[in-house]
Amino acid sequence: MEIDLSEARQTFVTESIELLQEMEGALLRLEGSPGDQETINSLFRSAHTIKGSSGVLGIESVERFTHAVENLLCKVRENEIRIDKKIIEVLFECRDHIQVLVDCASSGAGLSQGLLSREAELVKRLGSCIGGRGDAPDKTTEKETSGAEAGEGRLAATNAWHISIRFNGDLFRNGMDPASFLNYLAGLGETISITPLFERMPAAPEMDPEECYLGLEVDFRSEFDKKTIEDVFEFAREGSVIHILPPHSRVEAYMDMIRSLPEDFLLLGEILIKGGALTQHELDEALDMQKGEDAGAEQHKRLLGEIMVNEGMIYPEVVDAALERQKLSQASRSKEARTMRIDANKLDSLINLVGELVISGANMGQHARRLKDGWLTESASIMSRLVEEIRDNAMRMRMVPIGETFSRFNRVIRDIGRDSGKDIELKISGGETELDKTVIEKINDPLMHLVRNAADHGIEMPEERASKGKAPKGTVRLNAYHDAGSIVIEVSDDGRGLSRERIFKKACALGLLSPAQTPSDSELFRLIFEPGFSTAEQVTKLSGRGVGMDVVKRNIEALRGAVDVESDGRSGTTVRIRLPLTLAIIDGFMVGVGGSSYVIPLDMVVECVEFSEAERRAANRRRYMNLRGEMLPYIRLRDFFGTQGQEARFENIVVVRCAGQKAGFVVDDLYGEVQTVIKPLGRVYRDVKGIAGATITGNGKVALILDAPALMEGAGGGATASNLN
Amino acid sequence: MAKTIMVIDDSASIRQVVNITLKKAGYDVVEACDGRDALGKLTGQKINLMVCDVNMPNMDGISFLKALKASQGYRFTPVIMLTTESQESKKQEGKEAGARAWVVKPFKPEQMLEAVSKLILP
Repeated sequence: MEIDLSEARQTFVTESIELLQEMEGALLRLEGSPGDQETINSLFRSAHTIKGSSGVLGIESVERFTHAVENLLCKVRENEIRIDKKIIEVLFECRDHIQVLVDCASSGAGLSQGLLSREAELVKRLGSCIGGRGDAPDKTTEKETSGAEAGEGRLAATNAWHISIRFNGDLFRNGMDPASFLNYLAGLGETISITPLFERMPAAPEMDPEECYLGLEVDFRSEFDKKTIEDVFEFAREGSVIHILPPHSRVEAYMDMIRSLPEDFLLLGEILIKGGALTQHELDEALDMQKGEDAGAEQHKRLLGEIMVNEGMIYPEVVDAALERQKLSQASRSKEARTMRIDANKLDSLINLVGELVISGANMGQHARRLKDGWLTESASIMSRLVEEIRDNAMRMRMVPIGETFSRFNRVIRDIGRDSGKDIELKISGGETELDKTVIEKINDPLMHLVRNAADHGIEMPEERASKGKAPKGTVRLNAYHDAGSIVIEVSDDGRGLSRERIFKKACALGLLSPAQTPSDSELFRLIFEPGFSTAEQVTKLSGRGVGMDVVKRNIEALRGAVDVESDGRSGTTVRIRLPLTLAIIDGFMVGVGGSSYVIPLDMVVECVEFSEAERRAANRRRYMNLRGEMLPYIRLRDFFGTQGQEARFENIVVVRCAGQKAGFVVDDLYGEVQTVIKPLGRVYRDVKGIAGATITGNGKVALILDAPALMEGAGGGATASNLN
Repeated sequence: MAKTIMVIDDSASIRQVVNITLKKAGYDVVEACDGRDALGKLTGQKINLMVCDVNMPNMDGISFLKALKASQGYRFTPVIMLTTESQESKKQEGKEAGARAWVVKPFKPEQMLEAVSKLILP
């Protein structure tokens, strides 16, 4: 039978990745509490499932190796082996190796020599963990050879098999049909005769219609061996009496022989099984019979008790329990039932459509207002409220908590700690903070770089920490929280902090600063995000990865985010990443400059004030104003974008706040709040500074979305630069 | 009418393999990812046979069997257990709980179909 399993293979790869992730989590938990049985169980189950699935799919490389891992875990689970640091370490490495094997299987690549020797090494170490207890799984080898035994004595005259069955009375109740066995049997050979026996059938009034009273005597010719024929009745075996006698065999010969020689029972049985005359099952039955004779009536009693339990004495309670479970399962369905996997493309196209809906809804609202039709306006406003809800829901579908991404770094920290001899702890907070899925996918690499940096360069060796009066255990912290419409992710450590001196020297060497300048801490530290900037100590394991802080910055800016760094020599370094909540739709504040419209993300807008005549006159000399006693740097959008045309008579300042800083944008007109669907800019405009995207307004015109953080850098930076000069 | 078989396994890929195999042989297939999920899905529909994994989260195969045998509607539905060779003891446990057959992982599609055709009523 040819079955296409390529799809199932794909499922296997996805599933394995999840399971390996779970394994990693379990191993990390085990490091903290080695005795936790629940964790050990889940670890075992993960390995077990991977082994089972890979076996079914014929991915031998994975199956073979995972089997070895499972063996060890099995012993651990049975409490035969105590789990310790060494075992956990081996298991970590095995987990990684399984991952490599799965990757190979998914790409169709063969195993290299290096991988094979790695596997051999790991298997050896697994074996040494198990110790002398034998690493092969307990297998009952049931080797059956076909053919009848050339026995002595009187042989049956027929050349056919004889099968004698007295069916179990519960056969019908167990959902089986005697005829199905005969049908199946007919497929194996030629049925010569069937003799049904009804001796057990009581008179009609006593007869239980659900009880099976049937017995059969079948003569049957077949080329198949005894095991195959016996297997036909595998499911009827329990409670039924079945004898299968091969052609030319002595009637009851084997059983009689065994019974007559009880002292050598096992030995004889084994010999007979090896010779193919008896099957394991017949031997077991005979064994049971013998035991029964020895133990006598007491055993009968016990069996009876079991039957009663099985058949109904505790029936009501069991049903209750089952019902209870059923209720439970409805309340908290298992993972798969509660969540649905949706193709990301489908979701994207939904979001896109919702975006269009928002635009056309806004359009309709404008028309309704223009027509001054009360009914229409009301309908339009109800619709726009619904559209807004749909939009929010659609956006929420793409939101996933960042916790899972965070917890992956446990392993990274652990490995760095082990390799470098540092004692590092990862503290995670704000894992429940939700982010757009696309953002989470893209933030992974930058985060990885920052976390490695923090652990590798930030945290000092334990002795060094002790000499500074710090706790010997270093801490790397990952934190996430919402702040004014954006998500902030912080990677911080309590290590040595950034070295002002070294960065300054390097900056001068690169020509980014002149030695005469005295930049502020934040200006100086920002330089580490410049391309080619890496101080001498930063060249270790990380430099090989080819990802510098400039790449981190670029990745984050590609997500319309911003990154800054804070540090002092004592309490370590904090890198703060600020990301927009979503990539697709924002609430905006629309303003006009000249004939063009611009949108500022609403969450950043603090207030709008009139740009007074006096301030305007001063505008040529300085680019900051006095806002109720506070210095507010501002930027004239008209100048920034080089807008042509007559200057407006009245101007306004929109005060925005981002990353704890305030700045003003000078605009001509204030239009108010709008919902905007962000459309990405074309390739040519993608790198234009100060623009985050474009949107289509209700009247079909294009409005540019301002990249407030980038603009503010211009405004704030300009102000400080003039101070420096 | 095609017979309906329920496949209960926590591994999505194994479910898929069994599903493909059985569908190809003309059976209808319902999937559940563990015992609890399966119980939740048994809401009166006709299931002619079940194929059930042993080691599963939430509710394992043995507990599921026990609950099934105690239920009204499905106590006579034959169940084939999917076990691995390292679980001989479980096999015995399954037998006591009322499993009618055992298919050992890794299995060939033919083996699965053979076990099914032996148990399913014509």
